[in-house]
Amino acid sequence: MSRGFRVDYGPTIEGFIARLLPLLKGDYPFHRRAVALLLLQGDQEIAALTARQEGPRVRQIQEIIKGAGGLSPPPASTIALARHRKAQRIAQAVMGKPLVRPLGGLLDWLTLWPPTAFPILALVLYYGLYRFVGGLGAQILVDFIEGQLFQSWVTPFAQELGARWLSPPLADLVAGDYGMVTLGLRYAVGIILPVVGTFFFFFSFLEDTGYLPRLALLADRACKKVGLSGRAVIPLTLGLGCDTMATVVTRTLETTRERIIATFLLALAVPCSAQLGLILALLGHSPLALGIWVLVVGTIFLAAGHLADRILPGPKAVFHMELPPLRLPVVGNIVMKTAARIQWYLIEITPVFLGTSLLLWFLDQQGLLQLIISALRGPIQSLGLPPDAAGIFLLGFFRRDYGAAGLYDLRASLSPIQLTVAATTLTLFVPCLAQAAVMVKERGVLAAMLIVAIIVPVAFLVGFSLNHLLGSLAMIGGLGNG
Amino acid sequence: MGSPNVGKSVIFNYLTGGRVQVANYPGTTVEVARGKMIWAGVSLEIVDTPGIYSLLPITAEEQVTRRLLWTEKPALTVHVVDAKNLERMLPLSFQILEAGLPMLLTLNMMDEARRLGLSFNVSALERALGVEVILAASIRGEGLPELRERVIKYVAGL
Repeated sequence: MSRGFRVDYGPTIEGFIARLLPLLKGDYPFHRRAVALLLLQGDQEIAALTARQEGPRVRQIQEIIKGAGGLSPPPASTIALARHRKAQRIAQAVMGKPLVRPLGGLLDWLTLWPPTAFPILALVLYYGLYRFVGGLGAQILVDFIEGQLFQSWVTPFAQELGARWLSPPLADLVAGDYGMVTLGLRYAVGIILPVVGTFFFFFSFLEDTGYLPRLALLADRACKKVGLSGRAVIPLTLGLGCDTMATVVTRTLETTRERIIATFLLALAVPCSAQLGLILALLGHSPLALGIWVLVVGTIFLAAGHLADRILPGPKAVFHMELPPLRLPVVGNIVMKTAARIQWYLIEITPVFLGTSLLLWFLDQQGLLQLIISALRGPIQSLGLPPDAAGIFLLGFFRRDYGAAGLYDLRASLSPIQLTVAATTLTLFVPCLAQAAVMVKERGVLAAMLIVAIIVPVAFLVGFSLNHLLGSLAMIGGLGNG
Repeated sequence: MGSPNVGKSVIFNYLTGGRVQVANYPGTTVEVARGKMIWAGVSLEIVDTPGIYSLLPITAEEQVTRRLLWTEKPALTVHVVDAKNLERMLPLSFQILEAGLPMLLTLNMMDEARRLGLSFNVSALERALGVEVILAASIRGEGLPELRERVIKYVAGL
């Protein structure tokens, strides 16, 4: 019925197609050009079928596919983009009224053209994440729900009830240091919910404007370097709000391999809002220390991702997404989506926090917490930190505000080097018990244990090296006095 | 065939008159409905493929649909699209055409599209793609008799 319909995929892709076509001599139910396109996009099933038919030419074919796999942007996104453009042209030409795009074609194009796309991205992230989620969610709402509601009403009420009706260990379970209400519920509802809730709203907004796939397309190149596809931008960004939540969201990634890499990177080198708050408080007055922290954590992120990409078996991440037009979202839809996601969060994550506080209460009752803290003293001292910091590291893992407050209290007695080292090590260290629990739930015990087993020594090793490096530099440059 | 929620099954039920068998595709949990259409003395097997976005499979549904196309070499594929979102739907049409599968494009949900004030230059679209295009609103039965005619004409007149 159709002869001669053709999408032009640009010189690079067309070059690869031209090289593949003469090698495809077998009998295929699809046109050979379509087969070549599927091969270039990393289609495993078609690759296997081709291998069966092409005998001696298989090696050459595989070479070409491998060559295409190294392209940046990857063939799959170049091809998707070419189709998107052609579809746009045809649709505009045949539709009586321009597409329903109140935001207009110009903005559509500006969000994809790299010289304008990246500044726009920076603006979106600044206003969306930093101002809206970070400002409104993590500060104003947390202050209200956690600071006002919990500190003045819920916690005293729970303590009162506990003291009146329950014997001491059980009263602690409800309202003690690690109580289900005072720790578990307060964390889930008072601290994480406002952050995650505002994030969900922002996320739903991006989703409905059609911006999200563009963001993924822009980030694909960077993500590819750490073995992920552009899609991974979503959980990785979410990690800056709450790593626990983000670990759950790695479900949206396509392959187990990508999920493991993303989970690993989240646990190792993506600081959550609680960590960020602490680090800004500690290092905020010294741009140099903050710069060192960013440099070290960023390097570790890239290096760890790159290594994981090299080591883990399995096919590379393929990116394939349709690009919808930009449009003005409907507020009702965003609110509905946000509500559905918050409900999901409450059902899935709250039990994790409650379970975590149960475990902590138990460890505390048995005196095991103190035992672990004293075991940590040695490694902590090797980082050049006072032994007291051991408790901070462990409590930081269990209860982040304790870790934060503890380090904050010690701040006066620590040198800038010690603070930088402590902040870096704490960032790399397993973020919190709830995240560890979610890792087990999502990735299985084995993968979770492996990830923790890699992260703990890496965190200490980096801290150790950083301490020595900064120490020697300080002797030359005088950072120690800064 | 077409993406999820474009009205494929309504059209399928119309063409087959409910003479339908639903079975899992071998080795998967994906359901594929098959039925017979008997009209004007012609008997055709109609397959309602799982909803897909692309011929490059990511989901199990996409894998099954592509295998069906690959192994059963349909005499005609009816690509059903949501007319309101033509731009987003066309890339799959491109892929069907690139694969060399005979295709009839059905712009469905025309009732909703008209309500939005959209209109379509059918002959321009036919020229751009090199295939026949039909307008339909399957929920109201609009365009379906014509679709049936075209299918019969195409397959029987081959």
